[in-house]
Amino acid sequence: MLSLSYFLQQSMNGVILGCIYALLALGMTVVYGILRLINFAHGALITLGAFCVYFVFFRLGFPFVASIFLVLGFGGLMGLILDFVAYRKLRGGPEVALLITSLGFYTFIENFTKLLVSPQPYAFKTPAFLATLYRTPFLTFRIVDIFIILSSLAIMLSFHFFVKRTKMGIAMRATSENLEIANLMGIEVNRVISVAFVLGSAIAAFTGFLWGAKYGQISYDMGFLTGVKAFVAVVVGGVGSVPGAMLGGFVLGLAEILSIAFLPTRFAEYRDGIVFAILILVLLVRPSGIMGMKEEVRV
Amino acid sequence: MLKLERVTVKYGVIPAVWELNLEVREGQIVALLGANGAGKTTTLKTIVGVLRPASGRIFYNGRDITMLPAPQRVRMGICLVPEGRGIFNRLTVRENLLLGAYHRKDQEEVLKDLEEVYRLFPRLKEREDQIAGTLSGGEQQMLAIGRGLMSRPRLMLLDEPSLGLAPLIVRELYALIRNIRENGVTILLVEQSAPMAIGIADYVYVLETGVVKISGTPEEVESLEEVKKVYLGG
Repeated sequence: MLSLSYFLQQSMNGVILGCIYALLALGMTVVYGILRLINFAHGALITLGAFCVYFVFFRLGFPFVASIFLVLGFGGLMGLILDFVAYRKLRGGPEVALLITSLGFYTFIENFTKLLVSPQPYAFKTPAFLATLYRTPFLTFRIVDIFIILSSLAIMLSFHFFVKRTKMGIAMRATSENLEIANLMGIEVNRVISVAFVLGSAIAAFTGFLWGAKYGQISYDMGFLTGVKAFVAVVVGGVGSVPGAMLGGFVLGLAEILSIAFLPTRFAEYRDGIVFAILILVLLVRPSGIMGMKEEVRV
Repeated sequence: MLKLERVTVKYGVIPAVWELNLEVREGQIVALLGANGAGKTTTLKTIVGVLRPASGRIFYNGRDITMLPAPQRVRMGICLVPEGRGIFNRLTVRENLLLGAYHRKDQEEVLKDLEEVYRLFPRLKEREDQIAGTLSGGEQQMLAIGRGLMSRPRLMLLDEPSLGLAPLIVRELYALIRNIRENGVTILLVEQSAPMAIGIADYVYVLETGVVKISGTPEEVESLEEVKKVYLGG
């Protein structure tokens, strides 16, 4: 059972789950960096994204590429609305108000989705051209696996480039370090925050599609635990650090899959517990996460 | 150029600045002195738009800017170099400087100004790609001022620039402030340490618990017994 090919196979699954966590963690970490908001509603975006593709691509028969652009646009729009409706009025208020609001909006979106679709899970077929199976001596994979890894890497690289090199990205990092000084530089902080929400939510909605294509099933409540785990990835990697969020995602995805793969079967049901155990362990050794900087107290 | 008319600023119900009248004329260096908690920083933050006055009005080049948000005031040429430098510690020197020019659209001119700032502060050029948090105190102050210059200000507000710097560096800094004024930037300088500031200023205000206690030309102010005793250490 403990053959090389089994290890490779499970590692690939771990990397794919890691991609999903990492993509979600990107949006959460930039929003947390600026607003100190643990945006639980972020998890709802993967549910919305998954159902958006389900209806647009499978039911209405839109071309694949058009569906992808549509889900990105839809996610971005939802992020914009969420920021505007839920959080903008709370700027400057206590952080706990933001947290409660995000939980409230998550609950609202989840239940609204349940009402619109149904409480039953939906079968999500992998688009035909992604379903082709390849067997090699070491690894069996479908095109969709390669698609997930490559598209995730492309998104992560672009996002990293955006944050490092573009004017808006630099402004975003500045705002997350010190909002008041950023304001003094003439940076319209509200616009920076909107951009963070739009980008993060578009990525999250796209991740919903990846989830459906890989695991073949979507449901109204798929976003909750996934969102929470993505936040765990943010904390493990180091809050506010974009490379940290990606690293945290991969660490979590690999650990989750490999622990189920190599621990005796009766431990499989503890997979969520294992994720949180990792969180606790990392925080014990490095309280600010793997790549985190020491948090300065903000006055 | 800048005029504050009976400006009152409150934190909650407690007034930090009370019915303040203050004027800065084009091309001047005006010093605003006072002990800790006198309301100096509050005044600067109100001028730049981070704080809103509870009453009173602020005019800039004849225009009432009392209600304008901070980013718009930055675009009009008002620039605050905050106390304790207020640089972005996690960004590089270059990124900090470029953020000073955030509101500007003229990219080529921005890059020219960047070279100009580097010419003025060769140390910053050497450390261009270094994280700003690793600079020394003096270098950080230079960076904060350089970043301010990148916005092409017409009115520069300096909040205790000499705080925590060695005397030799402070002397350099004041030469630089004079230099900036020569280049057509009006300056409102806030300091706790009075002698240097009075020496450089065209007009002086002394704040005490949110109220202007004394104002006048440097000669007038220096001759007052009270100022000698409290602020000039004699």
